Amino acid sequence: MEFKDYYKALGVSRDATADEIKKAFRRLARKYHPDVSKEADAEQKMKEVNEAYTVLSDTEKRAAYDQLGQGGGFQAGGDFRPPPGWDTGFEFSGRGFNGAQTGDFSDFFAELFGKHMGSARQTQHRMRGEDHHAKILLDLEDSYHGATRGLTLRMPKLDSQGHTVLTEHTLNVRIPKGVYTGQVIRLAGQGGPGHAGEAAGDLFLEVRFKPHNRYRIENKDIYAALPVTPWEAALGATVKAPLPDGIVEVRVPENSQSGRKLRLKGRGIPAQTPGDLYLVLEVVLPSAATEKARELYQTMARELAFNPRQHLGV
Amino acid sequence: MADEIDAILLEEAMFNLEQLTKSCQVTREWVIEHVQGGLLHNDDFIHVDPESWIFDSRTFMRVKRIIAIERDFECNAELASLVADMIEEIEHLRTRLKTAGLHQD
Repeated sequence: MEFKDYYKALGVSRDATADEIKKAFRRLARKYHPDVSKEADAEQKMKEVNEAYTVLSDTEKRAAYDQLGQGGGFQAGGDFRPPPGWDTGFEFSGRGFNGAQTGDFSDFFAELFGKHMGSARQTQHRMRGEDHHAKILLDLEDSYHGATRGLTLRMPKLDSQGHTVLTEHTLNVRIPKGVYTGQVIRLAGQGGPGHAGEAAGDLFLEVRFKPHNRYRIENKDIYAALPVTPWEAALGATVKAPLPDGIVEVRVPENSQSGRKLRLKGRGIPAQTPGDLYLVLEVVLPSAATEKARELYQTMARELAFNPRQHLGV
Repeated sequence: MADEIDAILLEEAMFNLEQLTKSCQVTREWVIEHVQGGLLHNDDFIHVDPESWIFDSRTFMRVKRIIAIERDFECNAELASLVADMIEEIEHLRTRLKTAGLHQD
């Protein structure tokens, strides 16, 4: 197990005051805010910062951690095991987890402070387990067809000595059809364990789509480019278009230009009220690489009185 | 062999007040104050009995976001709500940009 240097995570010195620690935390919370940050690994960084702050902002946890660090932890580097009874004399009243979830913390944290996780609650009260929250990345096609996705969860469990350890638990989740970004799906009973025989909490997953190279997604509506020839656009035509749920034939109205949108009602995300699918026409010109093609373009140039810059006054 | 489990899609309506407070670990008072202050954008709830409130996925995400901002920066509810408004607006605009093909992930 790796010894986590929480001072390094927050970028403060080991003798930093509580105020300096709070300031450093806020600066990093802003920098790595997962909704705003442009850093690639913002979410992971935010978890580390949260974990460091949970320890260093709590006088008791910080004192115990410092003792462990000075006892060799700060120099340990790669492989570290806390000596037995390292926390003797400390009382972790457990001001909670700063709102973050146990599954978000490292093995190192679980080993050190794990057995105190929610201990105040576990002793007396019968209580339903906590709900947990996470995100899930799906492909657009998953929403059209439904899908089964493997999901690895980290769950706190008590070992034979009564320590809480984080164990990995893999689930196959059947994703229902019709989900879209910003929605939430619920996995009943997959949150935190219940206390004194009560039911486990639920796991809530916020749905996000992976970027797709063909489709652009706006809520329940889908946008896709549909390349057409100049004569299909000018004269009108029926052309084939591939959609996430199969190939359809669509009618391109005559006198269409690039950018014209054709709406296929109800062919967007198949939610309870389905979204629409928009095909955005993209007129593609054949290259003038052959003699025949050049001749045809020259005929058009000669015989069509056409100035696309007329509205620009030239 | 991994367990297989059905995911339940929370389409439009999902949570009553009690479920929301439990899931997001906030008090009833927190939710009621934020609704009455117009901070959750559920203004149609203001004159309705809190027991009949039903929150959708969007409000659920907003509540989680505001809680995190209030907690991390120890700021007041109005400021957290303003930040959440801006984050949501940025998300909306990014989606529009992507739809127009002008934004890369």
